Amino acid sequence: MLRSCTAGLRSIWALRGRREGAPRLSMDLQPARRLFSTEKVIHKDWALPNPSWSKDLKLLFDQFMKKCEDGSWERLPSYKRRSTQESEDFKTYFLDPKLVEEERLSQAQLFTRGFEDGLGFEYVIFKNNDEKRTVCLFQGGPYLQGVPGLLHGGAMATMIDIALGSCTGGAVMTANLNINFKRPVPLCSVVVINSQLDKLEGRKLFLSCNVRSVDEKTLYSEATGLFIKLDPEKSST
Amino acid sequence: MELFLVPPTSCPDSTLPQPSDPPWSPWWTLCHLSHHGDQPKSPLPRSWPGQVSRFCQEMKKSKNYALPNASWGPDMLSLYHEFLEKTKTSGWVRVPSFRSNRDHIQGFKLPLDLSANSDKSDWRLFTRCIEREGQGYEYVIFFQPSEKKSICLFQPGPYLEGVPGFVHGGSLAALIDETFSKTAYLSGEGLLTVNFNIRFKNLIPLGSLAVLNVNVEKIEDQKMYLSCVTQSRDQQTVYAKASGTFLQMHLEEDSSRQ
Repeated sequence: MLRSCTAGLRSIWALRGRREGAPRLSMDLQPARRLFSTEKVIHKDWALPNPSWSKDLKLLFDQFMKKCEDGSWERLPSYKRRSTQESEDFKTYFLDPKLVEEERLSQAQLFTRGFEDGLGFEYVIFKNNDEKRTVCLFQGGPYLQGVPGLLHGGAMATMIDIALGSCTGGAVMTANLNINFKRPVPLCSVVVINSQLDKLEGRKLFLSCNVRSVDEKTLYSEATGLFIKLDPEKSST
Repeated sequence: MELFLVPPTSCPDSTLPQPSDPPWSPWWTLCHLSHHGDQPKSPLPRSWPGQVSRFCQEMKKSKNYALPNASWGPDMLSLYHEFLEKTKTSGWVRVPSFRSNRDHIQGFKLPLDLSANSDKSDWRLFTRCIEREGQGYEYVIFFQPSEKKSICLFQPGPYLEGVPGFVHGGSLAALIDETFSKTAYLSGEGLLTVNFNIRFKNLIPLGSLAVLNVNVEKIEDQKMYLSCVTQSRDQQTVYAKASGTFLQMHLEEDSSRQ
């Protein structure tokens, strides 16, 4: 699996030509270029409370912000779009002009930040750098429904992908995800995703997480994931 | 344009389909089915499961999103028409897609411990959450009842971005789960995901066509095991492989709504 994944990337890089340095995929980005937005929107950090946040979510947010005061935890900011430089880098790496129209690309935005307040993914991630783990507070909105009244399994999978990814650093890509759903999550409720890095083997990062209710009494799901660090230096052919 | 379902005239509760019944229970007898739109009227085989017909019933009030629109590229359109032909000739079914799953299960109720605060009218199916044509999920599922398999044609829009220019892994996982979910339900009342596993192989460029091939591998102990291969139309590039396990759950008729 790993071979096929990096082989795929290698071939893409080979086609596009080598570039020095891997672009960062971290969440703390510079404001993005956008054709028709005001500056306010570009600079907006979405990992902050808004009126759609429930009491539970706000309470937990405040608790974690307190933990950030002594520097042991940090809140990860979250933007809608990537920096201009990073987009340009990736365009050179991956983009085949025949495949994607330029106009459509300029409208692109990070999937989980494309919803109006409260309708989709409301989340914030706190990172504990010493213990290499993160806590993601997630409130799934009415546009994330699956079976009526419940959160869509795929929306949960998306958040698990993001939560596991937040434990990594630098440019990474998801290789595998394995999720066991124990109990369905009611739509519009708040859950806590605790993620950690279990093992690092070269460029392979093995991570795991669990999804619990706010009072920790209900275990909704458990998951493991394998992420790969991107390293164009090593992957040249 | 009506759906005629002819259940036996006398049907005590004990004869209702049980979870252990095979999906093709002879309890339902399908007489005649007509579709809206571009499909000709033709009688379907009598063995076609009642579940499928009821689930795929066109709703007069709800918009069906599994139909072409201006954002569909030539690849998506041509493959769509190929499968539309197959719905006329070889038993494939085009699964309608509504804003909420509630539209598929009108007249049924969820088990009490599952349904939370009653679903509201503005709640949306995740893969139909982005309203603007071509911006999010453009997809249609075709189901083959006799082989318990389906094909999903997927054209991702710019709002599904992850790595710049390519589809977010989570958004693909969500569509695979959704296709699993529809296939599982139509194949035997598979309702809730209990396990989901995905291996990403290659990135899908935004705006291109990806084809999801889903199969029911086995049904055992009230669990359905499904597999999915997501690849390019020419099958030269495999984007991802996934497997899922679904719990079968029988939905009771909701007499209070009728």
